[in-house]
Amino acid sequence: MRCAFFLAKGGKTLQESIVRFDNISMQFPGVLANDKVSFDIKKGEVFALVGENGAGKSTLMNILYGIHEPTDGAVYINGHKVEKFSPKEAIAMGVGMVHQHFMLVPSFTVAQNIVMSKEPRRMGIFYDLKEANRETERLVREYGLEVEPEAKVGEISVGLQQRVEILKTLYRGADILILDEPTAVLTPQETEELFAVIRRIVKEKQMTVIIITHKLYEVMNISDRVGVMRRGELVGVEETKNVDERILASMMVGREVLFDHIEKTGEPGEVKIKADNLYVTDNRGLLAVSGVSLEVKAGEVLGIAAIEGNGQSELIEALTGIRPVQRGSFYICGAKADGMNPGQIRKLGAAHIPEDRVATGVSLKSTITENLIVGKEKLPAFSKYKLHLKQSSIARYAREVAEKFDIRGGGVDIKTEDLSGGNMQKVVVAREFSFDTPVLIVAQPTRGVDIGAIEFIHKQIIDKRNQGCAILLVSADLDEIFRLSDRIITMFEGRVTGEFKSGEIDKMEISYYMTGHRDGEGGENDK
Amino acid sequence: MSQLSEVFNIGLLQNTLRTATPVILAAMGGLLTEQAGIMNIGMDGMILVGAFVAVAFSYLCASAAMGVLMAVLSGILIGIFFAVFVVKLRSDEFIIGMALNTFAAGLTVYLLRSIFGVKGTFSDAAIVSLPTVHIGFLENIPVLGPLLNDNSIFVYITWLLVFLTWLFLYRTPYGFWLRASGEHPESLETAGISAHKMKFIASILCGIFCGFAGAHLSLGYLTMFSEGMSNSRGFIAFACVIFGMANPPKVFLAALLFGFLQALGLRLQSVGVPADITSTIPYLATVLMLIYIVVSTDRKKKNKAKKQLERI
Amino acid sequence: MISKITDTLREKRPYLMSLFLSILAALLIGAVLMIITGYNPVEGYAAMIKGAFGSSRVFGNTMAKMLTLCLTGLAMAVGSQAGMFNVGGEGQLFLGGLAATMTAVYLQGVSPFIAVPLAFISAAVAGGIYAWIPAMLKVKLNVSEVITTIMLNSVAIYLCTYLTNSSGPLRTHDRGVMAGTDAVPKDFMFEQVISRSNLSTAIIYSAVIAFLCWYVMKKTSVGLEMKITGENERFAFFSGLSKDKIMIGAMVASGVICGLVGMFEVFGYQQRFLPSISNEFYFDGMLVAMIMNYSPLGIILMSFFFAVIDIGANAMELSIGISGELSEIIFSIIIFLMAAEGGISKAVQDRRARKKARAHLREEAVQ
Repeated sequence: MRCAFFLAKGGKTLQESIVRFDNISMQFPGVLANDKVSFDIKKGEVFALVGENGAGKSTLMNILYGIHEPTDGAVYINGHKVEKFSPKEAIAMGVGMVHQHFMLVPSFTVAQNIVMSKEPRRMGIFYDLKEANRETERLVREYGLEVEPEAKVGEISVGLQQRVEILKTLYRGADILILDEPTAVLTPQETEELFAVIRRIVKEKQMTVIIITHKLYEVMNISDRVGVMRRGELVGVEETKNVDERILASMMVGREVLFDHIEKTGEPGEVKIKADNLYVTDNRGLLAVSGVSLEVKAGEVLGIAAIEGNGQSELIEALTGIRPVQRGSFYICGAKADGMNPGQIRKLGAAHIPEDRVATGVSLKSTITENLIVGKEKLPAFSKYKLHLKQSSIARYAREVAEKFDIRGGGVDIKTEDLSGGNMQKVVVAREFSFDTPVLIVAQPTRGVDIGAIEFIHKQIIDKRNQGCAILLVSADLDEIFRLSDRIITMFEGRVTGEFKSGEIDKMEISYYMTGHRDGEGGENDK
Repeated sequence: MSQLSEVFNIGLLQNTLRTATPVILAAMGGLLTEQAGIMNIGMDGMILVGAFVAVAFSYLCASAAMGVLMAVLSGILIGIFFAVFVVKLRSDEFIIGMALNTFAAGLTVYLLRSIFGVKGTFSDAAIVSLPTVHIGFLENIPVLGPLLNDNSIFVYITWLLVFLTWLFLYRTPYGFWLRASGEHPESLETAGISAHKMKFIASILCGIFCGFAGAHLSLGYLTMFSEGMSNSRGFIAFACVIFGMANPPKVFLAALLFGFLQALGLRLQSVGVPADITSTIPYLATVLMLIYIVVSTDRKKKNKAKKQLERI
Repeated sequence: MISKITDTLREKRPYLMSLFLSILAALLIGAVLMIITGYNPVEGYAAMIKGAFGSSRVFGNTMAKMLTLCLTGLAMAVGSQAGMFNVGGEGQLFLGGLAATMTAVYLQGVSPFIAVPLAFISAAVAGGIYAWIPAMLKVKLNVSEVITTIMLNSVAIYLCTYLTNSSGPLRTHDRGVMAGTDAVPKDFMFEQVISRSNLSTAIIYSAVIAFLCWYVMKKTSVGLEMKITGENERFAFFSGLSKDKIMIGAMVASGVICGLVGMFEVFGYQQRFLPSISNEFYFDGMLVAMIMNYSPLGIILMSFFFAVIDIGANAMELSIGISGELSEIIFSIIIFLMAAEGGISKAVQDRRARKKARAHLREEAVQ
């Protein structure tokens, strides 16, 4: 494999720059997503853009594709300065982008999606549907990307949908292809196929491919050069053959060791969370969790390491009562909890930090005070006869909590939507942690949060652990998993693929389990 | 038996066509906005303005064609107006739709009084009605002959428009773009076509259709304008759009069905069944249809999950 | 206390400014319309003011109108606080009015202390149940309550019309009365507060309902739970709130208020239930609620303004011949302007923020 890859790269000379970013800055409300970024991308190369979540990779590529207009700086494509930022212009200049969330119309067929905006026509105004199918077949043959032109996009697999996206850009004659986290939703098999396609189009069609990712082994596998971004800035651009994963990782996080050590104390106690052979379906009714069993004891953190879309979100939603369990059962503090709603599960002694704070964790239009008090509004401390709100004690409580959890942004009476991501997350953490429950189920606690807030939230989690809480942690950030967990389980395609004590395993090794590779066997669960 | 034949005869079908035509027209407009992802409950107001403008200009210019033309023009203006708020300014479509209905009701009555000095109903011999169409060879065909002959020209135009709407939505690129702008606007945007533009176009087309509906209402059979003469047809059209799942042939059939029920209701009155009761049927049917759609998609999902579990 | 009020005013200043300007602009557009159609706007608005305040009788009518608008507006607000868009108030109003009227008619001769409370209950139950149906459909099946309530409005109105029109089973047999039910017995009717006007002791009941709405929405744990549910249903569910109960409860409460409004219309002055009991009163109330962003206090204040325009415009029509529909035009223009202003100010803010950010970056670069 590696051999073939080097051969593919060997025969080609890298010369003129096809894309130039010149001092690009992008300011969103409250977030500086790109900070004076400048670099070139050369014609005919595979360029990997890496960085952790929120490093500004997608924003930069959205600028190239014309979705955002940069606050400052200029973009040159093929030597021409981009004057008007719109996808239409970008497409005309030969840029194609496959977004992380696919831009496909589910009720249209594969062919209809591929030719959209450049439909073959008859008599000038009529849509030539048959020709669209033929065009698609022609593309399929030319690039070897097998899809069924007449299948409805909403009914095909994610991997096939991605092919449709790629074919869409090829149909439009793109010679610069941007792939945003293309492997996040793919199986290893599909990932290999994708990489084969990338190599082929670069070699045979002289295309330029920019791939956004945070998986370093993929960078090593596919790219000619790699650019590393951190917190909106470009850290550096290197020839891939001159670096290794360790160097890239340190460039991504800035230092080798980013955080101070947090003291963990105490021994695990009795089992507080127990899941027994759980089966859960996703929004489409497909099985997302298949027979997961786990146990979390008092005074320990169990981390679930998994690539997004491998059932961890559905598992958490099931354990918190948001999603029904199809088969199997689970127990919170010894009580059978499946079939219960979130309110009932909370009464058993569980609190949760949801993975998407905006969708599930707060009410944006309500004040910070209101968000902090939700779930406690009927406590005698905050309402008379469970009805009349005691405004002054609520205000006092909110101020105390805001201070304790370091929520900054202009008082507790402002709307939550006006807070930065980090402070908004602190509101969620503050509310959930001050329920003082024996069980905490925590998902993506620091996603899109600044470094200071990460440190603070991590300390809070470990404090809870040291006080004897049973904590189940899900995170896409392996560093976070390693730092906080006492034990780690890996999940792949809805199944548990491994279980480790913290310190027994390193990042490289665990990523094998996260991708379903497990010592030569399939992903059978052994518990 | 004689009672039955009194109710069920050619006249019933003729009435069905008459009552259904304005609703079909408005519903074609409504399904375009629906497909573009806009819940349009302002159609009633759009029809009302169309009806008023048609009568006003037919009277002033002594020409039915002029009336229709101006009704369509007013429809375009209202469509743009609606889209500016709903699409450009992102106001709540529901609020704007309601306000549009109120505005239209107020404005037409106000102008009726100020321009023509009447309250309630304006009818005048000088208002030119739309021509009817007589097709000679149909005369000798039973049932179809009397049914298809001597209708207002709008009845035929309406059928053509239903076909054209379908053709537009499912056989031209523009129709695909319009549908994409409602179902998944981002995919259209990233393909380089403005979803806003398609929504604007949908609104304007809806305005035109409602203008036609209004013109037919006031110039088709009656040649008059009366206060609130849209009489909730905009809402029935909305019901048809939901009932027919925004698909032109299905919406057309829904509107025919509702028109039939209404015509039937009027006739059943003669045998003692009150029309007010039959009038409720379209609305109840729409609620039931909504429930059916939801329950059936839900069941599909559940079956899918069940099947997978059985496989384990 | 006073500082708190000024604080609130300062916080809401942009909103209040745009509201004020919208009203002003709508009145100006109304004036222009009058000029175009050959009337003197000063005369017109003078007639409107006189028509709303000119005598104790017309002022009573204005107040009665305000009560209707205020309660229907609050009904809308109660539902929407919990995210339930009750568009079906008109139907609930019809059914509530009819139920209360028939209860009173059947209980003729019974002591008013028994009959009137029973009429209240039947109005509340009728309105409540009719709101419960779409609420259940929304909560259990996720069928859009907006569409179902629109549909159910027509069903209720046609049904009530059938029952009480010239050949309906509940029609009165009084001579010389074309349609409607029997009259509510005199001793069950609400007392007149201002004689010969439409203002009755319904003002007391309305005040109680309005106070309860404000109190529950703004001062209680239930109100908070409604707000959270209305703004983020998923968050409410996740937080363990009984969101289904809250949503159904809010919708039913909304329906109950509408049912009572129907009763007040009959018991306050109409005496009989007529198929014309309400001329889209609920929709006017909805407009008030929307303009005021569903704020209870705002609705109470704005309903007075609307009532003045509405009653004043009717009087204006009688005295100088300008169509009373001018009021509807003014109302809808206010909505359009408020809606437009909301959108425009947001776009302006975004652009400003962008410019500022760019200037800031340049400065940094220079240094």
